[in-house]
Amino acid sequence: MTTLDFISVRKTFGTTVALHSFDLDVREGELITLLGPSGCGKTTALRIAAGFEFADSGAVLVGGADITRTVAHKRNMGMVFQSYSLFPNLTVAKNVEFGLRTRNVAPVERHHRVAEMLELVQLTPFADRYPHQISGGQAQRVALARALAVQPRVLLLDEPLSALDAKVRTTLRDEIRRIQTEVGITTLFVTHDQEEALAISDRICVMSQGQVEQLGTPTEVYRTPTTAFVARFVGSMNEFRAEVTGPGEVAVAGSRLGAPGAIGFVTGTTLSMLVRPEDLSLGDGGLLGTVTSVTFQGATTLIGVRVDVFDQLVSADIGQGAADHLQMGDRVSVLINGANAVCEPA
Amino acid sequence: MSLAGLDDPLNEGPPTAPTALAPAPVGRPNNSFARLVPNVVLIVAALFFILPLLALARFAMQKVPTVLWDWDTLFDKWSLKPLAVAFGEPEFWPAFRLSLKLAAGTVLLTMLLLLPTAIWVHLRIPRMRPVIEFVTVLPYMIPAIALVAGIKLVKPHARWFLNSDLSLIPFYVVLALPFTYRSIDAGLRAIDLRTLVDASRSLGSGWLSTIGRVLIPNLRTAIISAAFLTAAVVMGEYTIARLLLIDSLPPYQRILVGTDTQAGFGLNLLALLGTTSLFVFVSVLTKKRDRKRKSFAYAATQLAASQEPSPA
Repeated sequence: MTTLDFISVRKTFGTTVALHSFDLDVREGELITLLGPSGCGKTTALRIAAGFEFADSGAVLVGGADITRTVAHKRNMGMVFQSYSLFPNLTVAKNVEFGLRTRNVAPVERHHRVAEMLELVQLTPFADRYPHQISGGQAQRVALARALAVQPRVLLLDEPLSALDAKVRTTLRDEIRRIQTEVGITTLFVTHDQEEALAISDRICVMSQGQVEQLGTPTEVYRTPTTAFVARFVGSMNEFRAEVTGPGEVAVAGSRLGAPGAIGFVTGTTLSMLVRPEDLSLGDGGLLGTVTSVTFQGATTLIGVRVDVFDQLVSADIGQGAADHLQMGDRVSVLINGANAVCEPA
Repeated sequence: MSLAGLDDPLNEGPPTAPTALAPAPVGRPNNSFARLVPNVVLIVAALFFILPLLALARFAMQKVPTVLWDWDTLFDKWSLKPLAVAFGEPEFWPAFRLSLKLAAGTVLLTMLLLLPTAIWVHLRIPRMRPVIEFVTVLPYMIPAIALVAGIKLVKPHARWFLNSDLSLIPFYVVLALPFTYRSIDAGLRAIDLRTLVDASRSLGSGWLSTIGRVLIPNLRTAIISAAFLTAAVVMGEYTIARLLLIDSLPPYQRILVGTDTQAGFGLNLLALLGTTSLFVFVSVLTKKRDRKRKSFAYAATQLAASQEPSPA
């Protein structure tokens, strides 16, 4: 069984704390994404897993075995890097073969494994090309094949898509997920792109300032963020000033609504209430405002509304029927669904 | 969706060739004056290099006194005999062989010391690079005679070492440092060192294997340049060899100039042409390879540079 566990891992660089008591368990065959802004410690965690950095304290376990002090080349981890990491002096096939040669795998087995890996990433026709003769997307696929060829215990992906353009990024993202599922390898994926994280992960670990803010499935992280940071970082949010009027009930500009996120706050407390665009709708008795933008998005339409009472711009994701005839300048009434709202003291 | 075909969307995207990331080509200057200046500079530089060599060649291989030298005698009495004399001297071949041994030893020691050091500095203490650069340039700023004075001081205590012909090697390593370090440093800057090292280590390679299988092949141009620069320094170093009474090629050349001036200068000319040919050869040899790899290395280093401040 190959699992990856971080237990109270701490890492500092000089006076900067990169990881502060970081705990994470990646289950067998699972793909967990470390998601967070630059400097949150996600790459440091990955490099500690790879053995390029050592934890100041805490432990890293793979399949239950402590590898905290094991050097990188003895960890048997496969890693794909953000920048093109192919060896420029070797062909695609030789790049894939590199790790197998290091492990003194017999030539017949080596050739078989290289062919298998190139087939997996569908680059067999490119076997004899050099890295400068293939595109960025192909280079990352070769890097993936190279990492998988050595049959690593854990696959580590350090923002492997960030150097690619949007179209290639989406295709390769799906390709990575397909291969990961096919191979069934335990995977740790680092990105700062929330869309990427939501699309590819079994679970997402949102990080901030060297700590885990929330660990959950993409749906949990998106629909029920546990902290305001997660709510703001994953997806877009509208922020309203609200006053607690009772247990799980708030008033926004005089209108009362249920907000389970407000449970635990004392009546009269002023809150900042975070609401997703899809939790806003149009209907009578809401906040009056003027439509400032209408963006057709296919199944839904995103509209911008300047709310009169706050003189504040909010965005609402409206179903096709409700938004069909909306135009900029139209007067509308915006209703808030507080069921999934995240509340924090203002 | 088929991914195997060449029309696969994954075959698109930022190519590793320089089209996406390389700087736009600099436009040619339009006015003729701007075009003329570089050509003039090139011609003057070429004359500065070639004229002394021609003068040296005339002095070494033409038996026409300067007072009688004019257009009519320009091509009279040229002979390769002085060179034959130089090569025929019994001391020449031992001196030449010793210089070759010294060059090979110096290149080897330089690479053994410098390559791991430069890699270490780039990877672990990049902030120390300016300091290291300054230290390596010291042998260039401090005249060789100062080093000689130092050797003189320690000589009585280290005769066992300094009496050996090969004792010159460590001194030559120091003398060649300004050139060799820069060459290796430039080579290391041209590749995405950290990513290549990390990739190699994650694939199971130890440090020696990483240096041998990944870094040296990708630093070949820099290493060859550094090796030839080192060899050029060794083949031309006179002061220390003379002080330690070691009969390498430069002291022999000096002696030959005293006994047979034309033969001595003929040998000097050959040495100069030999060194120049080596550099031209290296330049031609590595140019093609560089052009091929530059695109990928450039894209990779640009990418790495753009992502520099992200330890976390």
